[in-house]
Amino acid sequence: MEKFKNQPFVKAIGFNRLVLIGVIILMYFLFALLTPILHGGASFLKYERVLSALNYAYFIGFLGLGVTFVIATGGIDFSIGPVMFTSALISGYCLKQYHLPLGLAIVISLLIGVVFGILNGYFVAYRFLPSFITSMASMQIAKGVGSVFTKTQSVTWPAAGMPNSWFRSLVRWGNVPTGLILLFVVAAICAVVLNKTKAGRYILCIGTNKEAVRLSGVNTKKWEMLAYVLCGLLAGAAAIFYVGAYTTVQPGLGDTFNNEAIAACVMGGTSMAGGIASMLGTVIGALIVALMQEGILAMGFTISYQYVLTGIIVLVAVTADTLSRKRKV
Amino acid sequence: MGDIILTMKGIDKTFPGVHALDHVDLEIRRGEVLALVGENGAGKSTLMKVLTGIYKKDSGTITYEGHPVEFNNPREAQDAGIVIVHQELNMIGHLTVAQNIFIGREPRNGPFIDDAKMNADAEKLFQELNIEIDPKETMSRLTVGRQQMCEIAKAISHRAKIIVFDEPSAALTDAEIAQLFKIIRDLRKKQLGIVYISHRMDEINQITDRVTVMRDGHNVGTMLTSKSSKEDIINRMVGRVIYENPKAQSNVKPDAPTVLKVEHLNAGRMVQDVSFELHKGEILGFAGLMGAGRTETARALFGADPKQSGEITINGKKVDIRSPEQAVRAGLSYLSEDRKRFGLMLKKSIAENSTITCLPKYCRGPFIDKHREREVSRKYVEELKTKTPSIDQMVINLSGGNQQKVIIGKWLIGDADIMIFDEPTRGIDVGAKQEIYELMNRLVSQGKSIIMISSELTEILRMSDRILVMCEGRITGELDIKDATQTKIMYFATQRA
Repeated sequence: MEKFKNQPFVKAIGFNRLVLIGVIILMYFLFALLTPILHGGASFLKYERVLSALNYAYFIGFLGLGVTFVIATGGIDFSIGPVMFTSALISGYCLKQYHLPLGLAIVISLLIGVVFGILNGYFVAYRFLPSFITSMASMQIAKGVGSVFTKTQSVTWPAAGMPNSWFRSLVRWGNVPTGLILLFVVAAICAVVLNKTKAGRYILCIGTNKEAVRLSGVNTKKWEMLAYVLCGLLAGAAAIFYVGAYTTVQPGLGDTFNNEAIAACVMGGTSMAGGIASMLGTVIGALIVALMQEGILAMGFTISYQYVLTGIIVLVAVTADTLSRKRKV
Repeated sequence: MGDIILTMKGIDKTFPGVHALDHVDLEIRRGEVLALVGENGAGKSTLMKVLTGIYKKDSGTITYEGHPVEFNNPREAQDAGIVIVHQELNMIGHLTVAQNIFIGREPRNGPFIDDAKMNADAEKLFQELNIEIDPKETMSRLTVGRQQMCEIAKAISHRAKIIVFDEPSAALTDAEIAQLFKIIRDLRKKQLGIVYISHRMDEINQITDRVTVMRDGHNVGTMLTSKSSKEDIINRMVGRVIYENPKAQSNVKPDAPTVLKVEHLNAGRMVQDVSFELHKGEILGFAGLMGAGRTETARALFGADPKQSGEITINGKKVDIRSPEQAVRAGLSYLSEDRKRFGLMLKKSIAENSTITCLPKYCRGPFIDKHREREVSRKYVEELKTKTPSIDQMVINLSGGNQQKVIIGKWLIGDADIMIFDEPTRGIDVGAKQEIYELMNRLVSQGKSIIMISSELTEILRMSDRILVMCEGRITGELDIKDATQTKIMYFATQRA
């Protein structure tokens, strides 16, 4: 076992993440086996199912990548789901009502995410509010702002084949899951930012011991804020992938996705205590969450089971993280 | 003077690496105030914590009212009538006075707390003590002095027979101290046994009947207060043997330029009108007792805590320091007394800890140049002789001395010219201590300038070229190393403004 762990290939990906990939494969076969039994002969082994699961993985993945930055600083962001919805609502509304070009609508979506990131980051980093409370408040604000802007109506983005629908090819291009490629590209960029740049180093160090970093002469406020802004930006990006897959957004929703994105992070090996984070792990975590969702529906259960399972996953993953840290100290 | 109420005999207590109490004897008598004095780390607090069940003794016996006793926790000691009034008060600010006094044992009326009875009981206590405090007042609205009186009232309400005061006057005004003494005299008249821990010689003369002096975990003698002078007591506290060679004379050239000038620095109660100069190549020792305001001065100077006023001049240029970021830019560095909390990222590697002070220097664009980062961190591991298998080692796995070297390294990499060492050898074993000393000497010979805060007098005398002594937030004395003795330092360190 130790020998296997020390192989360069295993080290590069990380043992925990290889285990998770194994879990994905196992889950897939489990669902393939159980779906026909539980759901009257339906088949799980269809390419459409894979694409459907991936649709769910994209936006959870983007949300997860963003919140990984925040968790790396030792904070948390519970506003990402509603922020994603608000971004999609407002930019979609602009697209339809004001006939803005699609490119501009996408930029607006990203900007709305950034604004919420700045809001969270300002109160956490500069006003020393707990991130938990801050993001709970901005979650409420996000929900409300989206509803007010669209006059509590849902917004439907252009369907495939209509003008201004090229955003759909970001998600799927024919039978090619372009979203998956983009998710990995963005994850790679996030990983580079986190592990190779000054910003990422400061973010991880702040999560390890913020006061020591401050007393080393680093402007910790600035870098902590940056983590929240990146998180917001990626929530804005997630919005485009959400509508690219599901077309319609309703006001006042989105909070269940917070938990699933955070679950993806902690499953992937990002420590809730801060200082340790893995972008690749988050993507794999998002794939697991998505596959689980697809499997549960395919087997004929309601989505409520998904909530129960997500809750359990968070508890188990965080407990494992806490235990492993206790052992190391 | 009354009979003996409590005897501690042969109390021994060892912490990892420290023999905190070495067969200490102590007697507490009814109707008497016993002063317990000694330097920081002499073992006074440890002894009192053993007495009140906070620490378990390794060996020895405690006889209380004629019976051997063994308290497992402060609660048991309290129930037996032995209470301690801590230096830091244990009051809950948003509760009322009466709620604080009777916390955990509120009088009940069915399932409800009987507020009327509680307030009446508190009122009665205060009358007994001749204190005028409204039991219904919120605790946080009282001054520190009056909060302390509540703490005393709480002690009395436990039917205390012995009360230990741990540096009770540290936070009090003169008027409050006068009232405290009046209360203590009353308690003495009521035949309580009182232990009074203090650093203030004049108070010891005023209020206590006997003095027990502790040094290095030993009881080095008990005297009648009326028959001993302040000098007697200080001499016993510091001992006559000097076990490490003090520096004979300053190594600073007489014409060395001033690198740092601090004028009228004020930051809260612990830093009052502090002014001093630091010369190039100098080790300036900051001596004083615990809570003298030395760390607070360093932190205010470094921009870690806000300051109210004060001018700082570095190399002849006035600088505005309101954050550690600005301090580092001005060439300052601060090595905290609490390495783990304020100095290190324990779960990061040596390399990552090394460059945190000046990461932009080891970057190309936004990217960290890991090659150069590793190079410089390896260089300093070798130069400082940090013992570690590799620079990828997590700092948490290093010993205290090697952790301290990582911190010194990070400031050297950060190119700091003025280094503030706050208790540089705390928790470090003897061998590593020696290395840190040599390192500091080497640094000043290379033109760095050092402020060294230390509570160990031998360390102060051994390392400093010049010594400033602080007491209660003020600089109370300055000594050139050739004139400095432990006795003189202690004299200034106990000198109230």
